[in-house]
Amino acid sequence: MRGLMRWLWLVSLGLSLTGLAPASAQITEREVRLTLDPAMARGSPTAPVIIVEFSDYQ
Amino acid sequence: MLDRVLSEYRGKVRLVYKDFPLPGHTLARPAHEAARCAGAAGKYWEYHDRLFQAQPNFERADLLRYASDLGIPAEPFAQCLDGGRFRGLVEADIQQGRLLDVTGTPMFFINGQRIEGAAPFETFKAVIDEALRNVR
Repeated sequence: MRGLMRWLWLVSLGLSLTGLAPASAQITEREVRLTLDPAMARGSPTAPVIIVEFSDYQ
Repeated sequence: MLDRVLSEYRGKVRLVYKDFPLPGHTLARPAHEAARCAGAAGKYWEYHDRLFQAQPNFERADLLRYASDLGIPAEPFAQCLDGGRFRGLVEADIQQGRLLDVTGTPMFFINGQRIEGAAPFETFKAVIDEALRNVR
């Protein structure tokens, strides 16, 4: 598998409430390092948009 | 639906599939490992599609038969599956999903924007169009 695995960074945006009122909500970012196996990818490797799908066969 | 996305946004979108067998789905994990074994034989997406068609028949004999149907050599495939060659990589996908708070499937991230569940094409289109505007 050496050489086949690549890495990509995915930034997940989420809302983190810091108080009771919605006005106090603030956006936080989380960065998670994901493995990418080219055999499990479709579409252009240079595409500007990446859709990551987490799925379950069953 | 994702076929339509890839077709209508040809060259602009790449789909990356991540394994996330849910804890209660006891037959799912070997199915995910089997798909990666098929990938090692150059037939990942064919096997992937076959698994979705065959749900939920994922006993070992089923997994071997699907491989045979696709012309994948039987012995190395069985060795791959039985030896757990890709067990660690499937587990790594699960751990990465957990870090992203994935609790159900399917779960999508489009340049980081989360979409939960089987959303209609229009939902994907709106998020992709926005992502394309942001990268220009």
